[in-house]
Amino acid sequence: MTARSMSTSTVSSQRAVNNAWWSRAWTNNAPGYLFLLPWLIGFLGLTIGPIISSFYLSFTNFDLLTPPRWIGADNYIRMFTNDPKFVASIRVTLFFVVFSVPLKLAFALGVALLLNRGMRGLPLYRALFYLPSLLGASVAIAILWRQLFAGDGLVNQVLANFGIEGPSWISNPRYSLWTLIILSIWQFGSPMIIFLAGLRQIPQDMYEAASLDGASKSRMFWKITLPLLTPVVFFNAIIQTIEAFKSFTPAFIISGGTGNPINSTLFYTLYLFQEAFGYFRMGYASALAWFLLLLVAAFTAFSFLTSKYWVHYDE
Amino acid sequence: MTFRVDRRQFLMGSTALLAAGAFSPVLAQDSSLRLLFWGSQARADRTYGVTDLYTKAGGPAIEGEFLAWNDYWPKLATQTAGGNAPDVIQMDYRYIVEYANRVAIAPMDDFVGSALELADFDADQLEGGKVDGKLYGISLGANSVALMINTADFEKAGIPVPGPTTTYADLPAMAEAFKAAGIEKKVIADGSGSEPMFENWLRQRGKALYTADGKLAWEAADATEWFTMWADFRAKGVCVSAEDQALDTGPLETTMLTLGKAAVIPSNSNQLVAFQAINQDKLTISNFPRIAADAPGGHYRKPSMFFSIGGTAANKEEAAKLINFFVTSKEASLVLGVERGIPCSAGVREALAPTLDEQSQTALNFVANLGDLLGKLPPSPPAKAGEIDASLFRTLSQEVAFGARTPEDAGAALFTGANDILSRAA
Repeated sequence: MTARSMSTSTVSSQRAVNNAWWSRAWTNNAPGYLFLLPWLIGFLGLTIGPIISSFYLSFTNFDLLTPPRWIGADNYIRMFTNDPKFVASIRVTLFFVVFSVPLKLAFALGVALLLNRGMRGLPLYRALFYLPSLLGASVAIAILWRQLFAGDGLVNQVLANFGIEGPSWISNPRYSLWTLIILSIWQFGSPMIIFLAGLRQIPQDMYEAASLDGASKSRMFWKITLPLLTPVVFFNAIIQTIEAFKSFTPAFIISGGTGNPINSTLFYTLYLFQEAFGYFRMGYASALAWFLLLLVAAFTAFSFLTSKYWVHYDE
Repeated sequence: MTFRVDRRQFLMGSTALLAAGAFSPVLAQDSSLRLLFWGSQARADRTYGVTDLYTKAGGPAIEGEFLAWNDYWPKLATQTAGGNAPDVIQMDYRYIVEYANRVAIAPMDDFVGSALELADFDADQLEGGKVDGKLYGISLGANSVALMINTADFEKAGIPVPGPTTTYADLPAMAEAFKAAGIEKKVIADGSGSEPMFENWLRQRGKALYTADGKLAWEAADATEWFTMWADFRAKGVCVSAEDQALDTGPLETTMLTLGKAAVIPSNSNQLVAFQAINQDKLTISNFPRIAADAPGGHYRKPSMFFSIGGTAANKEEAAKLINFFVTSKEASLVLGVERGIPCSAGVREALAPTLDEQSQTALNFVANLGDLLGKLPPSPPAKAGEIDASLFRTLSQEVAFGARTPEDAGAALFTGANDILSRAA
């Protein structure tokens, strides 16, 4: 009797300890989780759930109206062996990434350097220059771009003053992708803000020392500013590259969802959208989405691997 | 994308949403019907005019939503996949077989004679809405492809507008007259990427786009000749430049007619109403040009669009009654006019005809008097037809226009590419 009650009491006291640990953790963190709940539900239900199911769907044939049918790796095989539009969309997207990202970063850095000279009304200019980034991915801006770069749009009206008869930029396959690259460069605001913050962190005494030694402005830029800014450049490059791979809205609106003229604005994401919602091949579109993920991951990994050769962290 | 929600509805809607949280069974009892359609603002105004009439006459409330054609099909497919399909669905000849085969729309045969009063409904239009002998769609009007013509330009050029005897060979002379009169716009849009125009041209040659079993009914040589004809028009300045044509992304607002780049575009007879609503100059319609003065016209009367009942609609009979109101009520027809095509009920046509304005009268007469231009309705196209049109035909026509391919090359590429798409497993 005593032995039994002894043992029960040990167990129960152990349980009490466990309970205490659990309940302590719970009482400590419950409010946090409670506040987190709306996001957590959204994250699990609207992000993780669809990601997992899209991985499954990428091995099926699914047209939305009938249940998915397992077809193994056929989607991936078609992608790499028998899909000229896939190849075209990769080419367009890589062209866009390779040109828009460096140009945008260079432009953002240039503006940041200008703004960093301690002018009056800086907060105002900063806000003004940031504005396009806020509007950037919106439908309204894409429509505006269509108007600007159409045959009789504002750009050509200005050019006409100089006696130049411009083409219809957005509907000519030679220039259409460049109008999208310019649109992307115009949204230089967010990398600019980050550059500006980075420039502020460069110690002033370095410049003082350099000017005492008689270094020119450009030498200071190449030898002090840029090396010390490389972590920020690296960060911006990664973020902007990912953004560029994901770019969708401008091409969708400007080409009316077609990627035309002659598939010259057929971004990878636009092609993915067409396969999914134009031709209802959800399985194939899921496979495309997973390949995009791998592509972006590969690019990012490559950047990280090479970063040790050119990014200088202040240690 | 436009949702038709005014402030009162929004307030009611949000109240309903709150109430739904507490008393979700209430929603199941909701008797309102959801209606989804594609079209322009002009169509939406008319459609909502009719649903308002219906609700006022004691029918259930109708929640309407409309989108542009390109946005419509993704939306409908997603809603259908989510088990959330609308009760009444606007359906097209191109998709009806696919939706019917997947039970995404419901057969209506049980309602014929009761909820659907189709005694004086045109037999050929009723037949057009059948899949495997069952009625899946009620035609909202008959139409035909047609040239949409800006009459003011032809007046200025001092030449008659294209008519029943106009041939493709007549177009260059018209372009000369345009130039002589100092008109900067071109006679016609670049039709080389217009599937309906290519089909009409093939039919005049005694061929067709597709056979009844969904195979190509033309040869690479036909396509080459087609692309060559348009390349010639382009070189002579008869049709618009490649750059201009590429501005056309689908909606009426970006067509060469509305943008003022061309006086004539390929279109549909029922769209005269919608085009006139956004164009100042007076418009008219005519048949597509003939390949020769004595060639058959190649036109056909097709159901311009259907109303179908969603496969999962809770109250299919109520949905059928609403459709019935749209196609048989004279009151409704006065609001709808001929914007969706010529009404298929003889009684409705009779009531409507004297009230029509000049433009609508033109559309009605055009479809009624096609005469020797008229051929038989082609079989419904294979499911892949839309993809061949959007991803292959239009791109190839642009490649020829921009000089990236020769017409010979494009003709061959169209033939093999279309066969590839048709033979690829779903």
